[in-house]
This record gives sequence, C-alpha cells and structure tokens, in this order.
Amino acid sequence: MEIFRNMWRRKFRTFLTIFGIVIGIFAFTVMGSMALKLNKMIDGGKKYVTGQITISPKGSSGYGAATGTLPIDTLNKISKIDGVDQVGALVSLPVEEPNLDNPSINMGEPPSIYGADNKSDFKNKNWETMAMKSGQMPDKNSADNEIAIGINIATDKKLGVNDTYKIRGRDFKVVGIVEKTMTGPDSYVFMAINPAREMLIESNPFMKSLYASGKLKLEDVNSMAGVTWKDGADSQKVSATIKDQFGKDVTVMSPVKMGELIDKASATMNAIILGSALLALIVGLFSIVNTMVMSISERTKEIGIKKAIGASPSLIAVEYTLEAGIIGLVGGAIGMGLGVLAADIINNKMASKGAEIFLIQPNFLILVIMFSFVVGIIAGVIPAIRASKLNVVDAVREL
Amino acid sequence: MIKIQDLSKTFKSGEHDVRAVNQISCEIPDGVFCAIVGKSGSGKSTLLSLLGALDRPSNGSIEVDGTNIAKLSDTKLIKYRRDSIGFVFQNYNLIPNLTALENVMLPLEFKGIAVSQRKIRAEKLLEQVGITGIKQERKPGKLSGGEQQRVSIARALANKPKFILADEPTGNLDSNTGKIIIELLKKLAKTANTTVIAVTHDESIAKNAQMTFTLKDGKLVKN
Repeated sequence: MEIFRNMWRRKFRTFLTIFGIVIGIFAFTVMGSMALKLNKMIDGGKKYVTGQITISPKGSSGYGAATGTLPIDTLNKISKIDGVDQVGALVSLPVEEPNLDNPSINMGEPPSIYGADNKSDFKNKNWETMAMKSGQMPDKNSADNEIAIGINIATDKKLGVNDTYKIRGRDFKVVGIVEKTMTGPDSYVFMAINPAREMLIESNPFMKSLYASGKLKLEDVNSMAGVTWKDGADSQKVSATIKDQFGKDVTVMSPVKMGELIDKASATMNAIILGSALLALIVGLFSIVNTMVMSISERTKEIGIKKAIGASPSLIAVEYTLEAGIIGLVGGAIGMGLGVLAADIINNKMASKGAEIFLIQPNFLILVIMFSFVVGIIAGVIPAIRASKLNVVDAVREL
Repeated sequence: MIKIQDLSKTFKSGEHDVRAVNQISCEIPDGVFCAIVGKSGSGKSTLLSLLGALDRPSNGSIEVDGTNIAKLSDTKLIKYRRDSIGFVFQNYNLIPNLTALENVMLPLEFKGIAVSQRKIRAEKLLEQVGITGIKQERKPGKLSGGEQQRVSIARALANKPKFILADEPTGNLDSNTGKIIIELLKKLAKTANTTVIAVTHDESIAKNAQMTFTLKDGKLVKN
C-alpha cells in the first residue's frame, strides 16, 4: 500500500512515467501480435510448401497465378519418376473476376478458388485434416457443385451450410465451413477440380477458344501440381530429377529450398517488427529509471530516517525495486489492454477482407505483463541499490 | 548501563583533521533522563551519531550492557540500532505519507512483528503519549508540532529500546509544548526504564535532567 501511496505523491510524474511504459508496451503488444499472426501464416505456408514439391507451368509466377497450364500427360510422366509417390493436380484462381473499372487493393490473401482432384489419393506430406466449423470438406463422393468455404468468406457473404454461393455466374452449394486458421485457407473456396478448370477456361479467352475447338482438354487445365516423394526418398534428389527431365516445361520448387527462403524472410520480418517494438520499450525503461532516480533523490531524508529506525539496506533496495516493478506492471497492463483493443478493432474491420493482421494469444499477453514487470524491476534495481547505500547521517542531515 | 571510554571522532576537512569528539569518557546508568548541553559546533551531533551507531568512532569504545557497539559488524549494527535505540529528532522526521499509527508501526515492521501485533502495540504507545482516537489516523501534515513530536517519541519506543537519543527534541516547539515533551520524556525514562539522552543547547532541559554533561570543543564534562 505504501508503494501505491508513494506513487500517488507525485501524481503527474507517476502518470508521465506510466504513460511512457504504456506507449512501449502498447507498441510491443501490437507489433508482437502482428509478428505472431505473420508467423502463424508463414508456419502454415511453410508446412504446405515443405510438404510437397510444387510444380507450376514454366513462366508462371509460382503459386496459383497461372499464365499457362500443366498438361495431364506431363503430370503422368512425372508420377513415374523414381522416388515420386503421388502427383496431385490443382487449379487456383481468384473467386471474383478482376474489375478494372473498380480496382481494389487487398491487404491480405484475396478470396481464392482452390480446386483439387478429390478422387485422387494425393496428400501433402504435412497435411492435417482441417477443422470444420460446420459441415464437411468435399470428398470423393461429393457432387461437383459442392464446396467448402473459409471462415472469412462465410462471414463476408453471410453464408452457412446448405446455402447457395454464386461464383463467377455458377451456383455452388456450401457443404462445409472451415474453422478459423488465421492463415490462407480462411479465404479459400475448396471445390472439385473440374468446375475450377471450367471457370479458369472461362476467364481466359484464348483458353476458351482452344477448349471450344477441342484443341484443349479439360484435364490439361492445371495451374500447378503437388508432388510427394516416397518414404525414405530424398526430396531434393526427386526435385532435381524432375527439373532435369521437365525443366523446359515446368518450374520446380523444392521443399527444402522453399523452407530456407521462408525462414530467412520470416527472421528478417520478425527482427524488424520486434526490433521497433523493443526500441519503444527501451524508451519506457529509461523513463522509469529517470523517475526512480528523481524519486530517490527527493526521498533521501525519508530513506535515512527509515535506516535510522531499523530498516536494513536490503529492505530499502527491495522497496524501491518493487516500486519500479509496479510502475512497469501498471503501465504494462494498461498498454497491453489498449494494444489488445486496437488489434481487435482493426482485425474486426479487416476480417471480411480476409486481412486480419493480428493474432492475440493469451500466452503472449501473459508474457507481455510479466515482461513489463521485469522491465520495471530492471529499471529500478540500480537506483534502489544506490538508495540502500545512502549514508544515514548524510541522508537525515540533522545529525 | 552505557559506558563510553576515550571516544574520539576525527573528520578530514580539506588538508586538516578536525576532532569533533575528543576522548570522551562517561557512564550513564539505565532509566536515567540525561542531558548533554553544548553550543552549535561543540560536537553534539557527532556524539549523537556515535551513540546511535549511525557512525563509527575513530578511537575508543561505547559499551552498552557489556557489548562494544563500535566493533559490531554492519549487519549486527543494523539489528542493534533497530532493537536497542530509539531516535527523536528536532524536526520529528515522520514519514509524510504514513499516518501517525503507521509511523509508529514502521520500526515494528522492520523487526518482523506480525501486522496485528504491530497495530495493537502502536495504538497503545500513541495512547501513552496522548495521541488518541482519530488523530492516530492522521498524517503528520495534519498534526501540530507537539503532536508530531509525541508520535516521534511513540515511534522511538516501539521496539522497547535500551535508550532513546533525542536531538534537540524541543527545538521546533514553543516553550509550553516543549515543557510537555520534556515531562513526557522524563516520565517515560522512569516508567519504561529507558535511558533518555537528550542532546540540546537549551539549558532549561538540562535543569530537568537527572544527569547533565556539557560538551565543549569535543570534550565532555559532567555537571
């Protein structure tokens, strides 16, 4: 109680000090939550890219942005390479046609169609069954017009199971809604491969004319393919072999190389995000140090009196260190609360666009509170030790 | 019994040594109200610091019930100061953001006494010095000078000290209030069997004391 009263003696100074910590912890909470969200997305993406060798048409930009297609013949030949286990064709395209009269900029993953061959046995090596909020994923027995949708799409379009969702002029029946993952699938439409192929053809006049004339087969329309390797096989060797044999027609993304690239990018991004937050926190730390030094200077006589009437140096040190810790804790609690509020508000606004930026995790918030207390303690320990070493006679100044 | 033998304290002042206390020797029995009188610069404060174990002598010894406090380690000195000495200052020196009751409870807290016990003892002590009822819940800023000095005396008695060191206890009080405080100290010396050593320049205090010493240029003479 005395500690809180001591803080209250100089209200304005205490307020300013706490405000400094609030700013620092607010930044730390917000930036940290952003880093957590990013890491989760990257983790999800990393699991995906390291669980398969990804093949895309030569000249494409990589995942999903198809400017060419992969013929089924090529995929069949790849499946016969030594070490290859399964090949799974995929079609990916935006849910909505780009509207050049009304362009928009997406902050996060734009809603995308993800068409897969539900009848094939292909499974990404890091595949985990997706948790469903309601219903189920389309499977081997599903009709071509049955789809599952990510939570962001369900929220934005106000869709539930058994509702009809019109995509590019076609009606689809929602049979499942995927539980929130805070990663890409929150904005996906999962469907059978053939309707996705058809919509891709529709969206490309050249492909449309080739298809209409019979020169392009439906099964040859594939944006990309996933290739898994047999147990015991070396994914790098299998990637190299595919590249050797089909390098003129396809781009091969090896899981190991992709994993390394992602790790590098992730480390850099985390460093930037957290580095800036730590900087703000250091400012808060010095604010506490300054306050404690001034406070001890003002209370020198009081310290002397306490020592004269029996307080040990360690007791004095603990009192002032705790005071600094509590300043850190109070500032931390307020800063964290404001950070969570800001992150929540922004996330709610961005959710419908599939662009949630922050991931608020209880463990992280507990860490933030503990960290702010520790920062306070660290800031207070040296001034507190100095206080404990004050000479009683000099401090009291009457003797 | 306090036995002071050849006590000296020397300070460095520039290139010179200043002997603030110069080979003092005396004996003060228990339960006595004793006054040490001296003008400003006579060495009163230095002597008080030495007696209060706030400073170490350059030479000599201070024996309290057979223990030479000048030779105690820092840890033992803290314990000794907490358990054996009570201080009464000229400016009262109460902690401003604690109530009168909390100020008296403070030395008990440093001794590790349980909260409930602390409160009971502190209330009793304050009643003894005439601070009762709502006044016990007031902070020093809301008490008169005389009341603050009473609280200071109650605080000094908290841990049942062997002796109380009072540095100009009436220095900031009017003459009537000063008389009340001196009477209080005299009474407590008797009833609590606590030696009270008042260091002062006020001759009227000396008249009330059972033993009086005069301190001049660091030397002590018994009157």
